[in-house]
Amino acid sequence: MLEVRGINKSFGPVHVLRDVALTVRSGEVTALVGDNGAGKSTLVKCIGGIYPIDNGEILVDGKPVHIHSPRDAAGLGIEIVYQDLALCDNLDIVQNMFLGRERRRGIVLDEPSMEHLAEQTLASLSIRTVSSVRQAVASLSGGQRQTVAIAKAVLWNSRLVILDEPTAALGVAQTAQVLELVRRLADNGLAVVLISHNMNDVFAVSDRIAALYLGQMVAQVKTTEVTHAQVVELITSGKSGTIA
Amino acid sequence: MRSPAPSQEEIRRQNLGALLRFVHERGRISRAELTTELGLNRSTIGALTAELAEAGLVTEEAPRETGRAGRPSLTVRACSDSIFVYAASIEVDLVRVARVGLGGVILDRVSFPRPVDVVGALTSAVQSFTVDSADRRIGLGVAIVGVVRREDGMVRLGPHIGMRDEPLGDQLQERLPQLQISVANVADVCALSEHTRGVAIGCDNVIYLYGDVGVGAGIIAGGHRVTGHGGYGGEVGHMVVNPSGTRCECGSRGCWDTEIGEQTLLRLAESKPDTSGQEAILAVIDRAARGDHVAQAAVRHVGDWLGFGVANLVNIFNPELVIFGGTLRDVYLASAAQVRSRLNSMGLPATREHVRLRTPTLGDDAALLGAAELAFEPLLRDPLG
Repeated sequence: MLEVRGINKSFGPVHVLRDVALTVRSGEVTALVGDNGAGKSTLVKCIGGIYPIDNGEILVDGKPVHIHSPRDAAGLGIEIVYQDLALCDNLDIVQNMFLGRERRRGIVLDEPSMEHLAEQTLASLSIRTVSSVRQAVASLSGGQRQTVAIAKAVLWNSRLVILDEPTAALGVAQTAQVLELVRRLADNGLAVVLISHNMNDVFAVSDRIAALYLGQMVAQVKTTEVTHAQVVELITSGKSGTIA
Repeated sequence: MRSPAPSQEEIRRQNLGALLRFVHERGRISRAELTTELGLNRSTIGALTAELAEAGLVTEEAPRETGRAGRPSLTVRACSDSIFVYAASIEVDLVRVARVGLGGVILDRVSFPRPVDVVGALTSAVQSFTVDSADRRIGLGVAIVGVVRREDGMVRLGPHIGMRDEPLGDQLQERLPQLQISVANVADVCALSEHTRGVAIGCDNVIYLYGDVGVGAGIIAGGHRVTGHGGYGGEVGHMVVNPSGTRCECGSRGCWDTEIGEQTLLRLAESKPDTSGQEAILAVIDRAARGDHVAQAAVRHVGDWLGFGVANLVNIFNPELVIFGGTLRDVYLASAAQVRSRLNSMGLPATREHVRLRTPTLGDDAALLGAAELAFEPLLRDPLG
């Protein structure tokens, strides 16, 4: 669905991404792993249109595209859920999901249709933990917020959802729910990129693992072909004896 | 000798069954969709639906706005409120009893801690549901954590619920003579329900691993449940994985249960001696997530051995889906790196390349819904019989 070829990105003298290539397929979870500072977040922000790329190509469905702003990315069906979730505590779930992209009927907001769509989206993801879509986000638990943030990303007929550390700071039960949700997104046909430091999360839901090391993509392998030890080796040393 | 070609009457009954099963499994559906899905012509579908509607099994209604041109096709829906079965799940700590309508809708439910007299408590729970005398009760399906004889529901062995050669099926039949009783192992029925309306829809080769005190498997191969000659198959918890391991309750040594069972995890994690069940397991996983080294080592040990057994099963059955249910859901998610690593190093490349590891979507209701499927089976086989 998405292909990134030879991307370079520098911040002043610091060369953060070096000829990075990445392929993301529909119906699959691609885990993006790497040590702190390996360039995971920068890569995602380049794809999301927050940072301009210095050179390289981004292709969607095989066609080259230019992403200059988050709006461009959203137009292509790419949504990103950041670690801090970017939800407004004082607004309810519907207001959050449609924030900045509210539906209108004439000059007023079309509340019933937004509410209906929000409910439909939550139901399609089998989210049963939220009792009402008119609940204020402030009253939700960490896991529920994460689910709302993910549902918000799915709402816009998005085709690629990028999740930055979705289970960080969650309890055990909530982590399990979020992992199942991530898996369900891909099983429903979306392309998913999961950034995580937790190897159990990576192995539990991913189909492919892409490893960044000091700004370079050192491997992109199927999850059915690697072991935990090999992935850790890739993250920490950029190579693994058995993986080319 | 070739069996004679089926008569028209037999074909009609078969089609009735196929149609009812379709509506039961997929829910509300239009006649037009039924025509495509079942490959029968429109008038046949119309006649079959009318017959089922007359028997009170389904209703037809005008559809909601479709927004498309043309006369909308009537939608067919199962009569969940008036056609139902009883379903029960006998677990180590808990007994759940429910009334499940055609279409897999849970209408009423109760649960209580497992008493000594399970038969008595189950009987009174079934009788406690208020039902209309016009409603049709099909039967009672029971899921139990034990090894069950298929033909009469005799529980041959249920070490964790203190049963050995307990004629559960006959006892229930005696108390509830008007209901048809079927009893089966909990992992088997969970596999059935996930296959019918859960994560395994459309998958014909599935292994459902159910963990509580021990581990059992429900196996679906080629679209059919594999339960063995007497109904005892799927006791993967007693697959020997470590001949030099510890002694198992069954008398053997180094069974899979002894490496991945609840007690092993809790012992390795040095949990308090009087804790057990899902809460205790979650507590260990929580400790591991917070950086407790003892708990981390325990979870890794169990995950490693979990992968060991899964790799063997994947090599033998070549499933497309392995589901981790019961307490294994949490154990798997917390140790997926170990499980996968073992599977990837022990499983044959050809058998492991397409296997998906998943958690159930029906949650705690899987056993009840699966037990209900068992009870619905006679009706679905011959709706008007």
